[in-house]
Parts: sequence; C-alpha cells; structure tokens
Amino acid sequence: MSPVSATYWGIPGYAIFWVLFVIAFGLFVQRLYILYRLMCLGKQENRFDRIGQRITNMLFEVIPQWCNLKSVTRKDLSGIGHALLFWGFSFFLISYIVFIGLAEGSGLHKVLMGSTFETVYSSILDIAGVFVIIAIVWAAIRRYVLRPERLEISVEAGVIMIMVFSLMALHFCIEGFGLAGSGDTTDWPPVGAAFARFLSGTGFSKSTLAAVSHGAWWLHYALILGFMVYIPRSKHLHILASAVNILFKPLGPNVVLEPIPLEALEAPEGSVTFGVSKIQDLTWKDLLDLYACAVCGRCHVNCPAQLSGKSLSPREVIHNLKEHLLEAGPGLLAGEAGASSGSQAKAMIGDVVTEDEIWACTTCGACQEVCPVNIEHVRKIIELRQNLVLAQNKMPESAQLMLRNMQTRGNPWAGAQSLRLRGDWTNDMELKILGESDNVNTLFWVGCTGALVERNVEATLSLTRVLKAAGVDFAVLGDAETCCGDPARRAGYEFQFQILAEENIEIFKSHNIKEIITSCPHCYNTIKNEYPLYGGDFKVVHYTQLIADLIRQERLQLTNQLNFLFTYHDPCYLSRYNEVYREPRRILQDIPKARLKEMERSRNTTFCCGGGGGHMWIEEQHGTTKINQIRIEEVIETGAETVVTSCPYCLQMLEEGIEQKGVKDSLKAQDLIEVVEAAMKQA
Amino acid sequence: MNTIVCVKQVLDPEIPPAKFKIDAEAKQVIPPPGVPPVISVYDERAVEAACRLKDKHKGKITVISMGSEKAADVVKHTISMGADEGFVLSDESFANLDSFGTAYVLGKAIQKIGEYDLILCGRQAADWGAGQVGSILAELLAIPVVTLACDIEAVDKNLRIKRIVNDGFEVLEAPMPSLVTVSSEIGLPRLPAGMRLMMARKKQIPVWTAQDIGAEASQLGKDNAHTEITSLTVPTRKTECEIITGPTPSEAAVNLALKLNELI
Repeated sequence: MSPVSATYWGIPGYAIFWVLFVIAFGLFVQRLYILYRLMCLGKQENRFDRIGQRITNMLFEVIPQWCNLKSVTRKDLSGIGHALLFWGFSFFLISYIVFIGLAEGSGLHKVLMGSTFETVYSSILDIAGVFVIIAIVWAAIRRYVLRPERLEISVEAGVIMIMVFSLMALHFCIEGFGLAGSGDTTDWPPVGAAFARFLSGTGFSKSTLAAVSHGAWWLHYALILGFMVYIPRSKHLHILASAVNILFKPLGPNVVLEPIPLEALEAPEGSVTFGVSKIQDLTWKDLLDLYACAVCGRCHVNCPAQLSGKSLSPREVIHNLKEHLLEAGPGLLAGEAGASSGSQAKAMIGDVVTEDEIWACTTCGACQEVCPVNIEHVRKIIELRQNLVLAQNKMPESAQLMLRNMQTRGNPWAGAQSLRLRGDWTNDMELKILGESDNVNTLFWVGCTGALVERNVEATLSLTRVLKAAGVDFAVLGDAETCCGDPARRAGYEFQFQILAEENIEIFKSHNIKEIITSCPHCYNTIKNEYPLYGGDFKVVHYTQLIADLIRQERLQLTNQLNFLFTYHDPCYLSRYNEVYREPRRILQDIPKARLKEMERSRNTTFCCGGGGGHMWIEEQHGTTKINQIRIEEVIETGAETVVTSCPYCLQMLEEGIEQKGVKDSLKAQDLIEVVEAAMKQA
Repeated sequence: MNTIVCVKQVLDPEIPPAKFKIDAEAKQVIPPPGVPPVISVYDERAVEAACRLKDKHKGKITVISMGSEKAADVVKHTISMGADEGFVLSDESFANLDSFGTAYVLGKAIQKIGEYDLILCGRQAADWGAGQVGSILAELLAIPVVTLACDIEAVDKNLRIKRIVNDGFEVLEAPMPSLVTVSSEIGLPRLPAGMRLMMARKKQIPVWTAQDIGAEASQLGKDNAHTEITSLTVPTRKTECEIITGPTPSEAAVNLALKLNELI
C-alpha cells in the first residue's frame, strides 16, 4: 500500500499530501515573485536577441556541466564533484515529479509501481544516489577539513549538504524497509535490495519494517518540500538562477559597456545619474548575476588584485551587492508603490563596495573567465568608476593625472613620463603618413605607449621593419595619432572615451581606411569591439595575427635559429578578451630551435601583468604586493630565458618585474615582434 | 556672484625639455609639431577658484582669452570645467604684446562685458612667467588687487582672501569688485566631467577683434610697448656626476657628507 493512500488519525493521506504541497509551493512562488520584482528594479537591457543560439548555448553549458568542468585544473577538481551532484540530483528531481507528484499524489501509483520502467529507473536512481553521496562527502571534506582559500565557511552550505545527504539516506531507507516489509525478494534496485536483505535478517517484523518505510517516506517528502522553500531563500538560489543567467550571458565580447545615451547628454544637468551609484542603476541582468552567484569563490582565487593583497574580492563585491539588493530592495519596491522611499540605509559606493575595491580592479577579466555562471563583474566595476569620476569627481590622484592628460593632451603618457613627441618614432623611417599619401587603405595604429615610451618604441620600429620586409602596404598617422580611449574608458571617464572614439572614427573614415593593424591589445580590443557601437566598423587585426598569416603565406621566413627556452605571457586583452592565443604560439613554434614552455596560467586563463584597466598609471594600493612580481615568479618557475609578450603594457610590467626581482642576468622580456625580427633572414 | 577669469593658451609645459626650440634671431619660441597648446596651469587654477565660488554662491563665470583663434580650445576647456560663457580676443594687432598691451586689451574686453564682482587671473603665465598682467589690469580698471591667493571666500559683500607669503599666509579682505591672482596652492583643478565635457565641445566661442572691444591702435603694436625683448636663449645647464663610494655603506655616507660640506 502506498503511504499516501493510507489514513492517518482519520485524515486521508492524500489530503495531507496536497495541503503540504500547496503550502510549500505557495512559499516557493511567493519568494520567486519577490525576487523577480526586485530584479525588475534594474534598468532595461536587451538580452533577448538570438534566442535560439542562447538556448543552445545554455543547454550545452548546463546539461553536460561544461560550465563547471571548464575550470577543473590539477589543483581544483571540485567541478567534477559538482557535475556528479548535478547529474545525480537531476535524476532525483525527475523522480520526484514522476514517482511522487504523479504516481503517489495523483493515485497513479498502481500503474507505475512494479512496472519495468519503475525497476529500471529506481536502479538508475540507486546509482545516482551513491554518486550524490560521494559528491556530498567530498564536498564536506573540502569545506570543513581541507578548507580551500576560495570557500568561506557558511551555515547555508552545511544546511544544504545535510539536506541532500538526508534525502539520499531516506531514499535508501524507503526502498530497503519497503522491500523488506513487503517480503519481495528482488535484485533490483541494487542498493535498495541489498539493504532489504540485510534488514530481513535482523528479525524485525514485516509490519514494523513497512511502518518505518512509511515514516521515512513522509519525512522524505517533507524534506523535499522544505528544500523547495529553502532554496530561493538561500545562496542556493543559484540552482534556479544560474541556468537563466547563462541563457542571458553576453554573446559577443565579455565586457559589454553601453554608450551613454544621447538623451542623457541633453537632459538638464543633475537629472541623470552617470554610471552606477544605486542598486537601481544596475540593469536587470546585473541583478540576475547576483542571484546566480553560488559564492564558489573561483573569482576570489583568480583575481590578481586579491592575490596581491588588495582589498578587492570579486566574490565579496557580488555577494555584498546581493545582500544590499535584498536589504534595500523591498523598501524601494514599497516606495515605488506609493509612499516616498524610506531612508537609504547604506550608500552603495562606500558602504557596500568601497572606493579602494573599485579602483583595485585591473579589468583583466579573470573573474569572468572562471565564473561557472557567467557573472559580469568587470562591467559593474567600470560603471561604479564612471559614477565616481563623472558625477563625484572622486578618484585616486594618479588616476586624475592620467585622465587630465587624456583630456588636455590626448594621451595618457604626457609630461615627465615621456621624452618623446608623438611622431618622433617615424623620424628615421620611410613611412607613408596618412593624409600625405591617401591611396592606402591600411592603417598601422601604433598606440600611445608604442609611440611615446622608449622601450616600446623599439618594438614599434621592429614591427615597422618586419611589415616593410614582408611588403605590407600601410600608412601611419604620425603626430596626428591620438589615444584610442581605452585608459579613459576603463577608468570610468566615459565622455572622454566617447569624444576620442568619435574623433578617431571620423579620421579613419575621412581617409577611407578599411583595415587597421594594431600593436597594442588594448587598442585592438577598443577599436575592434567598442568602436562599432559608435559607428566605426573596420577590419581590425592584431599584429600577431597578421604575422602568423604572413608566415603561412611565406611572405615572411623565419630561418635564423634561436636556441632559447621561451615562455609566452598572454596579454589579457588579447587572449581572454579576444581569444587570440594560438597565433603567437604558432609564430614561436615556427622559429627554428626555439622551445616554448608554458606557464600554468596561460591562454584564456592567463594572469594579469598589473597594467590593465588604467593601472599603468593608477598606483597600486600601498603596502600590497605588486601584481607583476607574482607573474614574474610564475615566469621564473618555467626556467625560461626569455619571456615573450605582445602588449606594450605587459612588456613594461614584465621588465620592471625582472628588474625588481633582480634576475636581469638570467631572464629578459621581449616583444614577440622583436623575436620575429631576430629570427628573420637578414637581407 | 559674477566672475570674469582671464586665461592664456600656452605651449604645453609638459613637453620633453629636449624638444623645446627657439629661434634666437626672431626671438621667438618654435612650437614642436603635433603638440596642442594647453591652458596655462595657473590660469586653470584661477578657473577652479571661480568654479568653487560658483558651487557655493551660484552666479556666472565668463572667461576671456587673448591669443590666436585656436585659443577657443582653452576657453572650451574652462566651459567644460564649469564656466558659463567665453570669448576669444584675437586680432593681428594683438600679436606679441607685452604685459601692458595685454592688460589693456583684457581691460577693454572686460569693460565690454560690463558687470562683475570679481576678476581672476593666474599668478603668472606658464610660458613667460612675468606675473604683471593681473596687477596692471587692476590698475587700468581702478579696482583693488590681491596677488598669490590660495583661498578665496565671499563673506557678506566682501572677499576674504588667503594670500601666500614667504613664511606662511596672510588673510586679507577686499571689497567687490576686486582682482585676485591665484596661486597653485589653491589645489588641483577639477577634471571636467559629466556632460559639460560634451556640451563644451559643441559650444561656439565668439571671437572679438580690436574693433569689437574698441581697442585703440595707439595702445597696441611694438612701437607702443613698454618693454622689449633684447635676446632670447635657452639656458644651458652643465651636469657633472661623481659617484661617492666607500668600503661600507656607512663610510660611503660619511664620504658623501664630507663632499657636500666641501661644496657648500
């Protein structure tokens, strides 16, 4: 007899079943509705484009658990545990709907019970249950014994683990006691049957065993309902929100910054908020991010700011914003409905996220890369900076100096930092200058650092010589080139970026430029991914892509032997932001005798040099480790004689790191183009 | 409170020293290519002082700049910082004026603008550094002048000005209108932010000629100048480097101290 069809103290089991269900489901839906309304406090944003592709992406990431498995490394296997838990529990979720909801609750019990389907499915469940228990025990050992850096001890995690473990234990009890009580002698489901054989041998009466099975069944049922009520009220909300978050992830570049709308420019001063200063300034997708966070801490242990002792932890930023939303949100909703909104308890900038945290970010994107649920941390940080810079005029002095130079001089390096003028590097070169020879459609965009900083100019000259040797027809802007706007944008000075972007696009168009070669990955990312939003659609290539192509076409021959051990440092804005990491390696592998040894953090999981996001100019927090020191140690571990990179910032940071580490004799830093030139047959 | 600020467009003082070239014959500076001129740093601080007063007391800031028509760029810069209106004073006859001629032109423009409570100038221009125009301008307008201000407050109908002196500062009161020249100690100028930056970019800056402001030729031109440049040279600086050593760091320090003692 099914537990539900029995009568308890005169009350039919069905009544108890459905009353409990309605209460729990009501609480579940009520909470979801509140969360939905809180999410709607956010600004509009269109993430409903290409919906078919979105759904495919999501299914591909979630069902095979690629979202978790992608970040499994030798040191962090826990993604496998999560996958076991996810797959195992998914079988149970289906069983709850089919066996409990339909079979027991709707009285279809007799049709299903004893069917082959039931035997097969419950056998699968037994195996799934074993895997879930393994995963839970593994998780418990990790959390409470091994205690990896990225996890915080939390009560919620403990509650969930006990709940899941109990569900599995009760599942086996229902089967075991049930089978033993009914006297069935069967081999399937395997665990339940084995447990039943053990119980039959203990000498308890069949009725006692059956009664225990019923008791376990009701406890099990209550626990499932409790689980449903608890999930949206705990950090395990991610079980519901993360798949949705993956559905709405950016389909193009990972960091999506929207232009400030024209209406905002024409609105009266003070009536528009620039950037983000209140929770409602974030978009609904930003708020969904907060729900999706499982506090797994992968971002925490991959963030260069955090690892170098700064106060920023991406995990804490997201977690604190979520707490803030849940705390301040209901008041805002009540305020919206009628009465004026109550006193704002906490300032989002300052109390929830501190200015130090906001300025410590190098925008390297490591947090987003490892995040299993596609949370967009970097955009939020940049938008918080926008508010500090555009609305509050608050920023570190070093940031202000850089931005001032950007505004008055059109480049971030002006002043005592440079001994050169913009066009100086062209002096000893025979080059086509745009405007003087207009029949060229390819522009070599040098970038501020490559044109002004002594060490980087060497790489620029090297690239120019290589391109000429390969017969590439290109022109440069010379002293008419300004900044692409990247440092201004990352530091929150959005208007200055917009001005520079518009001016540059106009120049490109007026000279009928079709293709742009860049040497700096930051310029590359900005012109390629961000200018299109301002009307500038050009074919943009990074020089590493171009050189790899020229070698393939045999327009460049690398014939000189370079018998050295190299390691390649991937610039974040090239590898992580734009997935250009095969070409540089292909080039190095084409050099006779050159050997390449990888660092553990490489390609899209590379580690920042410390110079991104305006940090070439913004000083690192006092009393913390310098990020480039961490990276240089990783370089040294490989035993390489030369660390090669393809970004002017990285080159400077690596050289500085080598200098400070005092390993100048055994290690040097070079731009990839310098290595290429050395490997070329001299004419 | 209505403020007029006089600003000058100068060669970027941040260019590398080696790039600074002069034409000794013509007694003129040769601007390096591709380096846009900027607002004189002290004048930018005068604009900052005006903006701070406006933040507190409301009112209007008008900026004038004498120079080429390109000076519109620096006027736009001040508008992006917080100024309301600006004019460029440009005329062939304004070229190469000395401090007296400059003050005369500025005075004429100020008379054309009319009402004001305060006139601000930088303590000196970042290029020639004469530091004369402010005082001469006050004389021409017959209003009090306070130089080297590091803080300006409006108290009742008066100005309370903190003025830098050798061993600290003194606090002076002056009636309105007065002319005040502003020193660097007032603090960093604000970063032009918000939509002012975009708005300023599109703003048309009117250009006033000698005729527009009623400047008379008898006051302008080389022949009427009070000063004359007799020669223009780049100072040469000789650097000699000597490494002071010693067997131990402390002995090296002793040697260094002895050497310094010898030089003083």
